[in-house]
Amino acid sequence: MNTQPIQKYCPLALFILLCSIPWLLTDQGYAIRVLTLLLLFAAMAQSWNIVGGLANQISLGHAAFFGIGAYASTILLIRFNLSPWLGILVAMILAGLTGGLLSLPTMKLRGHYFALATLAFGEVMRAIANTWSSVTGGPVGISVPFSPNAGLGMMQFKSTIPYYFMMLAALTITTFIFWKISHSKLGYELRAVKANVDSAEVIGIDTTRTKIIASVISAALMGACGVLYAQFNFFFDPDSAFSLVGISIRVALICIIGGIGTVFGPLIGACFLLPLEEIFNAFLSGKGAGYSQLAYGVILIGIILLEPRGLTTLFKQAVQRIKA
Amino acid sequence: MSFLQAILDGLMLGGVYAVISIGLTLVFGVVSIVNFAQAEFLMLGMYVAYFVWRYLGLDPILGSLISFAAVFVLGFFVQQFLIRRVLKAPEVAQIFLTVGILICLENLALIFFGSEYRSVQTSYQNEALEFLGLIISMPYLIAFIASGIAGGFIWWVLTKTWWGRAVRATAQNPMAAKLMGINTDQMYRIAFGLGVGLTAFGGAIILPYLTVSPSVGGQFGVLMFTVVVLGGLGNVLGAVVGGIAVGVIQSLSGLFLPIQLQNIALFIIFIATLAFRPEGLLRKSL
Amino acid sequence: MKKKQKVASQQTRREVLKSLSALTIAGTFPSIAFSQAKTVNIGVILPLSGANAQFGINSRQGIELVVDEINNGGGLKNLGGAKINLVIADSTSTPTTAATVAQRMIAENDCCAILGAFASSLTLAISEVTERRGIPLLTMSYSDQLTGRGFKTVFQVTSKGSAIGKAQLDYAVQLAGGTKINKVAILYEDTAYGTSTATGLRAAAKAANIEIVMDEAYPLGIIDVTPLINKLRASNAQIVFPVSYLNDSLLIVRALRQQKVNIPIVGGSAGYVIPDFSQALGDYANGVLSICSANYDLDPALTNKYRKRYNSFMVHEALEHAVALDVLAQAINISKSTAPEGIIQALHSTTFTEGWAKAMTNGKVKFDDTGLNIYAEPLMLQWQKKELVTVWPKSYAKGKFIARNAS
Repeated sequence: MNTQPIQKYCPLALFILLCSIPWLLTDQGYAIRVLTLLLLFAAMAQSWNIVGGLANQISLGHAAFFGIGAYASTILLIRFNLSPWLGILVAMILAGLTGGLLSLPTMKLRGHYFALATLAFGEVMRAIANTWSSVTGGPVGISVPFSPNAGLGMMQFKSTIPYYFMMLAALTITTFIFWKISHSKLGYELRAVKANVDSAEVIGIDTTRTKIIASVISAALMGACGVLYAQFNFFFDPDSAFSLVGISIRVALICIIGGIGTVFGPLIGACFLLPLEEIFNAFLSGKGAGYSQLAYGVILIGIILLEPRGLTTLFKQAVQRIKA
Repeated sequence: MSFLQAILDGLMLGGVYAVISIGLTLVFGVVSIVNFAQAEFLMLGMYVAYFVWRYLGLDPILGSLISFAAVFVLGFFVQQFLIRRVLKAPEVAQIFLTVGILICLENLALIFFGSEYRSVQTSYQNEALEFLGLIISMPYLIAFIASGIAGGFIWWVLTKTWWGRAVRATAQNPMAAKLMGINTDQMYRIAFGLGVGLTAFGGAIILPYLTVSPSVGGQFGVLMFTVVVLGGLGNVLGAVVGGIAVGVIQSLSGLFLPIQLQNIALFIIFIATLAFRPEGLLRKSL
Repeated sequence: MKKKQKVASQQTRREVLKSLSALTIAGTFPSIAFSQAKTVNIGVILPLSGANAQFGINSRQGIELVVDEINNGGGLKNLGGAKINLVIADSTSTPTTAATVAQRMIAENDCCAILGAFASSLTLAISEVTERRGIPLLTMSYSDQLTGRGFKTVFQVTSKGSAIGKAQLDYAVQLAGGTKINKVAILYEDTAYGTSTATGLRAAAKAANIEIVMDEAYPLGIIDVTPLINKLRASNAQIVFPVSYLNDSLLIVRALRQQKVNIPIVGGSAGYVIPDFSQALGDYANGVLSICSANYDLDPALTNKYRKRYNSFMVHEALEHAVALDVLAQAINISKSTAPEGIIQALHSTTFTEGWAKAMTNGKVKFDDTGLNIYAEPLMLQWQKKELVTVWPKSYAKGKFIARNAS
């Protein structure tokens, strides 16, 4: 019974640590930027985890929701001076709606087919963003207007620290939602669907409704992350916001390497992958092109062949083996 | 007139798309794996043909045979050491293994070959035949003819040779094939090698009118998947029909739509087919 | 039950510890900042990989030529002979990566200014970073947007895209002389560069009452231009104005020849004025016209130095980056310090008439409030026997325009 508190306090300790790190680093410096992005990607991976990990629907097109969020909020900001805080709401609604609509025709598709369909959808959104120049600015990209006097209300800060905490909040919220779903009726239903769709139907689970709900939540969270990214980076274009390799595959990768379906998987995966990429970029700049991506590919193949359930499981197994 | 020209161009392009895509559908039909990395083998085929042209002076049409052979061997080993391990694994593993292969191949090419665009210079590259007011681009025509020959060859291998029948038997029922004494592992290796080798061949024969760079695979990925989904994953004849259909659609849409929207038309067809008719337009299997 | 819980909590703890250690490693990044006295760090961000690598390399060569000149000539006089240290980074071909590279460069390398990044789309992304950090950015990219956002730290040594596009059409019409031009076609790559130039082309055509029978944007990575050429032939245009980088320029010219569309080609700079264009196309390149923002034959005394060192004529991006660096060095000298605010002030208030500034049109460079060089003027060039000859306007022409006969 006295082990319960430890279990409860460890995530809390982690959270406190995460809150204190930024104060130790140079503001606007390199390290804090990397950590901020790391947290954002972990949050994105956690959103993906909801469908990828709980429902076992491998989506290769999550960038679609990300990009929708980023563009929606920024366009409203530019046209109507709408605060990005409200923009997040709009982004979540739009992305969630899109996720729900997309899941309707793709619901019945299994495995590979579903992956293909989502991949294609991500690419459709990218092509639309590239072509609909009057709204999105086209391939030229779009910038968040720079007003030196804006502040909290417009989600624009000079220092990197507020952004860091925004991303931390995103990660905390998405992780909480994931954990909640995992332990809830919805989670139970999703696991049933994952195990065997037909059996799930037999015991009375409305698999359609289940899948749609999971899709909507996952998409909405991803859209919110898009807004945060837009505000942090203040510039993006269709090729980066809707990127197949840079966003869709990357968040899936982070989740899988860390441990698909686990609570800490996304964070572990992000801590592993993102610094690795930065190391390569920093030390091999110029020649670096290709090496960091190659490392991704090799690691991915390695993990799949060794232990498809990711680093978390690998670690647990290693611990077991040491104990025995 | 430009309408007829577009159809003609589309037909010739379509023939090439067919050859490129037969490989993908073959892999799925026999090995039951959707090879997300297929387009990278196309890129490799193009590079092999390019270097053969550059250092041995061989025209890419002849170089395409070397491309086929080289990539066949590569595919053989990829199947043996990588794909085979996930044949019984959950789909997540299968999908991401080939995605991992995609990332590795593209970036290996980037590291070793650099990112510059390379193109070959052949005698017929800039020529065209004129026929009844229509212009037939020479490299298109030659690629089309080569595709036809390759397609015919594959058809002959699959239907008339022992190997081909063994491969098809393995595709239809691996257990029964094994019981009949067929080495299914070997069949998988051959099928995968054939599949990626064909795609590489396709890449080589279009090199005269294109340029190659490590990222060229991305341009063809969508195309290939649309073709095989239209024709039915695993259906070789379907890949041919799908290829021609996609070629013509792409060419015609170029006339009416701004060129940037061409791909959107393809994608929408792709998603719609997946959603409403995942088994493809033709219903037969391999 | 208790044991299971203990194991479970230990594992959770270990999971958490693992996250912690991973984070710690991630958080303590080597942040080495050498602080050598007597050197001034200037950042250079160019596409050294990807489709525009050749342009990036050319630009870098122009910069290196000038930096060696300055450093070997005693360095920055008003800073005690301090030498310039170039911090060169690859922007890659994606705008967001370029922006990240800029962020990293500013945070890590203490650069007082940045030069780059050839492609307008990349420069735009970088400028978002440099403006917010108050670091001057010098560029030769054209897009109107660069100087159209009210930024205070962007300095462009060339004319803007719409002005170049306008000249592209106007000069062509003037060169056509007696032949009346009624129908023209515009083809352009769809990023910032192509779009800006196309805007200029459209405005000029409208002003001259010329009908645009074809106006198409194409994606930058296009691999098959046949549908475009088909449309072009059907449109009956008399002149085609393509705005492309290298790969697409080659595809277009080849396709035009192959499809036997023999109308004059008036390119929009970039891919049409680089040596690789002539090398790849051989005889097909002869006679092709292109608008450009500068040319080496305006001041051979300066530009031959490049030819001697790099064995090729000084491409305009090399020339313009050379000018940018020289002007920057002069500004640093004038401001007598490396503080960015002082450099920005010097850049805005000085008319540069010395050094490489002479290689630009009008022999001088002066930046207005928006950062545009008011003395920059577009030039019409023509490929003649593997060299680029300035043929219009008459005041700058170094050679005669050779009207190409339809072959």
